Amino acid sequence: MMGILSNKRLLLSLLVGFTLVYPFLFGQSGYFITLFVMISIYVITAMALNLLVGNGGQMSVGHAGFLTVGGYTVAILTTKVGLPLLVVLPLAGVVTGVIGLIIGLPAVRLKGHFLAVATLGFGISIPQIALNWNSLTGGYSGLAVSRPDWLSNNLSFFYLIILVLVLVTWLIHNILKSSLGRAFVAIRESEVAAQSTGVNLSFYKTVMFMISAFFTGIAGGLYGYWFGYVSPNDFTLATSFLLLAMVVVGGLASIPGAIIGAVIFTILPELTRSFVGLNNIIIGIAVVLAILFLPKGLVSITEFFKKRSQPITVKEGTDRTGGMVKDANI
Amino acid sequence: MLTFKDVTVQFAGLTAVKKLSFEVPEGQIYSIIGPNGAGKTTVFNCISRFYKPVSGSITFIGEDLMKLKPHQVIKRGIARSFQNVELFREMTVLDNLLTGLHPIMKKNILSIALNLPSIKRDERIAREKANEVMEMLNIEHLAYEKVSNLSFGYQKMVDIGRAMMSDPKLILLDEPVAGMNSNETEKISQLILKLKEELNYTVLLIEHDMSLVMEISDLVTVMSFGEKIAHGVPKEVQNNPVVIEAYLGEVEEDAQFV
Amino acid sequence: MQIIVSGLIFGCVYALVALGLVLIYKTTEVVNFAHGEMAMFSTFISYVLLTSYGLSYVPAFLLSLLFAAFFGLAVYFVFMKRVQNAPHLNQVVLTLGLFMVVNGVAGLIWGYQQKSYPTAIEGKPFQIGSVFISANEILIIILTVILMLVFFLIFRFTKIGLAMRAASQDTMASELMGIKVTTVFMGTWIFGCVLGGVAGIMTAPLTFLSPNMMSEVLILAFAGAVLGGFVSLPGAIFGGLLVGVFENLISYYISPEMKIVFVFLLIILVLYVRPQGLFGGRKLMKKV
Repeated sequence: MMGILSNKRLLLSLLVGFTLVYPFLFGQSGYFITLFVMISIYVITAMALNLLVGNGGQMSVGHAGFLTVGGYTVAILTTKVGLPLLVVLPLAGVVTGVIGLIIGLPAVRLKGHFLAVATLGFGISIPQIALNWNSLTGGYSGLAVSRPDWLSNNLSFFYLIILVLVLVTWLIHNILKSSLGRAFVAIRESEVAAQSTGVNLSFYKTVMFMISAFFTGIAGGLYGYWFGYVSPNDFTLATSFLLLAMVVVGGLASIPGAIIGAVIFTILPELTRSFVGLNNIIIGIAVVLAILFLPKGLVSITEFFKKRSQPITVKEGTDRTGGMVKDANI
Repeated sequence: MLTFKDVTVQFAGLTAVKKLSFEVPEGQIYSIIGPNGAGKTTVFNCISRFYKPVSGSITFIGEDLMKLKPHQVIKRGIARSFQNVELFREMTVLDNLLTGLHPIMKKNILSIALNLPSIKRDERIAREKANEVMEMLNIEHLAYEKVSNLSFGYQKMVDIGRAMMSDPKLILLDEPVAGMNSNETEKISQLILKLKEELNYTVLLIEHDMSLVMEISDLVTVMSFGEKIAHGVPKEVQNNPVVIEAYLGEVEEDAQFV
Repeated sequence: MQIIVSGLIFGCVYALVALGLVLIYKTTEVVNFAHGEMAMFSTFISYVLLTSYGLSYVPAFLLSLLFAAFFGLAVYFVFMKRVQNAPHLNQVVLTLGLFMVVNGVAGLIWGYQQKSYPTAIEGKPFQIGSVFISANEILIIILTVILMLVFFLIFRFTKIGLAMRAASQDTMASELMGIKVTTVFMGTWIFGCVLGGVAGIMTAPLTFLSPNMMSEVLILAFAGAVLGGFVSLPGAIFGGLLVGVFENLISYYISPEMKIVFVFLLIILVLYVRPQGLFGGRKLMKKV
């Protein structure tokens, strides 16, 4: 167990292998494939949200809004404009990214709870706008999304989603380990020091919102394609809360954390779906317990194993030279 | 190189720095000393553009610094360390240093996301640079350690190291040896001399430790209550009665001022 | 005029909820997303007392506020005290978790269908000038004004108020000065939740009684609190009232569905101009 957990490559290939044979494990049942698709959509969104919240330290209580925008973009572009999927899906990201940019611009000036309220407002306003802008969004009845012929088969669509999922994970991973990703964390850790190392706060905060919105938009687009239909109340305030819970419970600023969180909080509501009240209680309790007992998220469990399999490194007060620099040759 | 001319800074009516003028010549170690609350760090924060003087001008190699935003200062060749260590605590030492190289890294989102060869090359060069700096500071063994796990002395080193990453023309050091023992202080003083002599940095130093200041500085400005009260080479300043008087008011400082 | 007055009445409810939110935030630095749900729960308690136990309005009202006080106390001791030093995001998500638990429990016990809730005072609406206003609505206004005055007086002139103000400035220093921070935080949660309880009981006759009745109220109260700067008690009241009136004007002149969109547009506009809110203090540069 420990070996598997600490060997990233092995773990990764096991994960990918599992997803590839997943449809056959469950006899290609529509229900299980849908469940998997929902997990993938939330994994992408949680990773995107984690980039903003976990790495960048910026609050967003309105990410469901970006999902909705992505879904509607796909719906409008396929049915009203008739563009093909390979154009539409990236465009869903771009359009949502632009919305993220617009949200990011004023949000840059806000901190903490002020930012929370601004994004909260965005999150609840989007469904209202979708509901009332009849000419564009079809109002209450929503919009249909036509899936291209080559994807009419659920199985082929399933593999498309895995492809997108892997691609997005790779892209986000690259961004986070680059100078861009370091600038995000720098902003979270100390705005003063970030500025004096040349990080332009407003620019990078806006970029953070934009990138996060971009990937969330793609996830929303996948949703639209899979269900063939989008409506104003697909993603509500509760979705935004759930997304935050995924990120915090899974592990802030960690891609595996976002994945774990998304898997748990997609399956959990599914299991308790038939009992409305109970559903909330169980999710709520899971969140509360995780915060109280695993404040660094579920992903910290694996780190615990990793620590055990590695020699312990220098810690505070254990400098062998008594807190001095070891070598005189400075 | 760096010129302050009649700079005045006020906070809510309180004058922190009053009509301060001085000039830092290129290639020298220039120290600002003075009792607590004399306005020394305020001077740094004006250079970093965190504070806005109400009057006066600050120029750096002929350019008006007041026109810049805080994040643009480093691109002009001015980097700084902080009095109480302002590091990215949850990052590793290596990542902290790499962030210091931010101004010259490529930032095309698309090529970053796709991890194109140009980005990989950039990153490799950055790491080499970081290794150089860590070697100079003798902290290579801590590269993958989280900064928050380090002792204060090491954190100070990382803070200075981060400022060195971009090869600045002028480096601002805010009390680099505060909280260090004599052995560590000696090492930092060697380092500062090395910055000047081998790397050709100009150093602007704020420090309380008089023996360090007197030993390594080329020029010293003494501030008290926001005003410049003395200026000159260390020897002159040391014997200036005005300076001694200013320090007598502070028992703590007095003890150090031998 | 009628629109403004009805807006003010909703505004009073928002102001009460906002006041509780700000009070808790100001002293303990926690943004309590479960505030509305806790208020809803207390309201249900009063409903049970009124209908199942046949109590009259005043004792039911007081008893449910007592419940609210204990509820606040319990939430503080069982949950919030443990995360006092955790990152803000963890605290926020914890209150979101509580939000779901409380909502779920209420749903399990009382179901999700809406119930009508009795008003405190029955009777036909009065007509003042061209404005119609019911006795119950007048009560809401009076109660809000009284509670605000009481809070203002407590905060300004009593030892408890002083301790609360001190604890909100600097927890460590207050502790050193002999102020028992735990007691102060406890008191804050009690006061905050009682305020919420009052707001809940006032809201129930205006909307209907259901586990979801407070979500929108909470969001708008939150908006009001932010508008007022989030650290200012008068700001919370003013912000709440402003949101109430503005919301009603939008529902009347533009479209009731779009009111939330416009409320948040207003807030984003205000925050863009004044990032610290209308009553928030000046932003201080972190000392380095």
